[in-house]
Amino acid sequence: MGEIRKLKSSRGSDPPRESTPRRLAAIVAGDIAGYSRLMQIDEEGTHLRVKRIERDLIEPSIVGHHGRLVKTTGDGFIAIFDSPVEAVRCGIVIQQNMVGRNASMPKHHWIEYRIGVNLGDVIVEADDVFGDGVNIATRLEGIADPGQVYISGGIYEQIKHKLVCGYESLGDRKVKNITDPVRVYRVLPDPAAFNRTRKRRENILIFLLSLMLLAIAGGALWYLVWQPHGKARDQVSIPVSPEMRKVPSSPPPVSLKQAAPLPQPLSPAAPAAPQAPPQAQPASPAAPAPQMASVIREPEMNTIHGGGFTMGSNDDVAEKPPHQVSVKPFAISRYPISVREWNQCAAAKACAFVAAGKDDAPVTNVSWSDAKQFVAWLAGATRKPYRLPSEAEWEYAARAGTQTKYWWGDQFQPGMANCKNCTDIAVADQPAVAGSSRPNPFGLYDMGGGVDQWVEDCWHKNYQGAPANGSAWIEGECASHVIRSGSWKNDAQYVRPSNRDSYDTNVRYPTHGFRVALSP
Amino acid sequence: MKITRLIALSAVLICLTSAAHAQGKPAPKDALLYFVWPQNGATIKGGFWCRFGLRNMGVTHAGDDFQNTGHHHLLIDVSEALDPNEPIPQDKSHLHFGSGQTETRIELAPGKHTLQLVLGDAKHYPFSPPIVSDKISVRIK
Repeated sequence: MGEIRKLKSSRGSDPPRESTPRRLAAIVAGDIAGYSRLMQIDEEGTHLRVKRIERDLIEPSIVGHHGRLVKTTGDGFIAIFDSPVEAVRCGIVIQQNMVGRNASMPKHHWIEYRIGVNLGDVIVEADDVFGDGVNIATRLEGIADPGQVYISGGIYEQIKHKLVCGYESLGDRKVKNITDPVRVYRVLPDPAAFNRTRKRRENILIFLLSLMLLAIAGGALWYLVWQPHGKARDQVSIPVSPEMRKVPSSPPPVSLKQAAPLPQPLSPAAPAAPQAPPQAQPASPAAPAPQMASVIREPEMNTIHGGGFTMGSNDDVAEKPPHQVSVKPFAISRYPISVREWNQCAAAKACAFVAAGKDDAPVTNVSWSDAKQFVAWLAGATRKPYRLPSEAEWEYAARAGTQTKYWWGDQFQPGMANCKNCTDIAVADQPAVAGSSRPNPFGLYDMGGGVDQWVEDCWHKNYQGAPANGSAWIEGECASHVIRSGSWKNDAQYVRPSNRDSYDTNVRYPTHGFRVALSP
Repeated sequence: MKITRLIALSAVLICLTSAAHAQGKPAPKDALLYFVWPQNGATIKGGFWCRFGLRNMGVTHAGDDFQNTGHHHLLIDVSEALDPNEPIPQDKSHLHFGSGQTETRIELAPGKHTLQLVLGDAKHYPFSPPIVSDKISVRIK
């Protein structure tokens, strides 16, 4: 039964005999079909792609399904799960995502996983797992077709009524070095596919191939037609950073504190002309390379005195229960981070993309991870502890000492916030430049409406178990983070300071921005 | 330049008479978006796992711009029509699955609710023509 792995484990460990970490687990083994062939075609490229898949897909999927990645080998991985249902789901998610990732590639470059899942009593150690349960999982993976999930009879018995999938029995199979034959099932993520698959597999392959060709041809032609437009847009966005650098040795940053809001965006039609407006420009002394770090234009910060407040409300399940929180003194940026501020980071190659749009407009289409990159850069470049605000700090600053539904009272009033049907700012001018609506009593603009704003906290569906000291709540799964404020595309309900929502950590969306905080 | 553009345009129009639209990316004609679970008319007690099915296209991360792939959006009790020229909205009734999720755990208040799936492209725009599922209704006990 047991082979090398088991021997190895019993050899080196005589003391902890009574505490053998044995447990029942669902073991998921995956490996890439034709790995050596792929490595032969393109060693470095394949390696990079595999690492990226592991980082972006495999690891998050395993964590998302409450599993643990035990180890990765060059071309595969082994993970354990407490629940067979979660284990198989995880396998399906990985396979479905791989279809998407391969779609743009020629067939001989496809990375396809074979996945086997088995239920077994195994010995778990920190960085490995042993036992014939593991061996069976790897054997299942070995006989699986590329892109498929094969499961053992033990798993099947556990999940057959719980996971709505098709299961195709492949009968009892004799697998290498395992005495008893293993019952094998193939998982069909889509139950309706059960009957069709076999007869239609070839047809589908041919069809998909031709479809892909057609789509690629169509896409290429489209691209041709669209390119002129795209180019024009690029040309608008590119000057943003060089332009800033062109005013290097201009006067010292005297007017840093001048808010200079209310620049009515008069000419939305012709933003291409790099208008050097009277204000704002002299205060952007981003110098060329050498002194770059020393002259960063920092966001304008408002100091917030600490205090206690009631966080949350009874208006939405996510905001319950209202609870008492005390917040230490901190500073928070007066406006959401602007395109100009963001592009300093992009110019320093510390942020992932150059933002388009007006310099004074809030930067958008940033993921939580993008926002974290920005604060890390800002903190490093200025040697000040810049960070994202915690959710409690954000709400404290948004409430600005009030406990009403909105900071100005319990009734919504037009003109107080930039939300859907709340202002007469033209859609084309959105997101509107900072300061286009009224500041709250703490002197902060757009704390509610404008752009959605990331905070440090992981998403929790309500406040059960939330910290009371104003710190960020970062325990738990962190596949999504909290966004606050609501955007110009959300209605007045979303402007409430207690309103909260979540979004996937690594995904960008065109209404999402952020502001920064600073500990004293 | 102008002439080549015109020629290219007409070529495209001839080749792909179907998928001519301003914003959305073209999608295969036989792409099918549907609910694996729950089924239309189901009565459910408490929270449930909602599972999304997609045929003849692939699921990928938002931001990944591959042909014939997209990511799921779940619309809960949405009655307004979908605007094909705008990104799919993001709010409490438009849930996004930009990490390539194919299922989600949802908890709804007791009563009748409608559910509908919409596939979005790399930039959250609907495809052209939009890939949407049937709108199903469920009753929560």
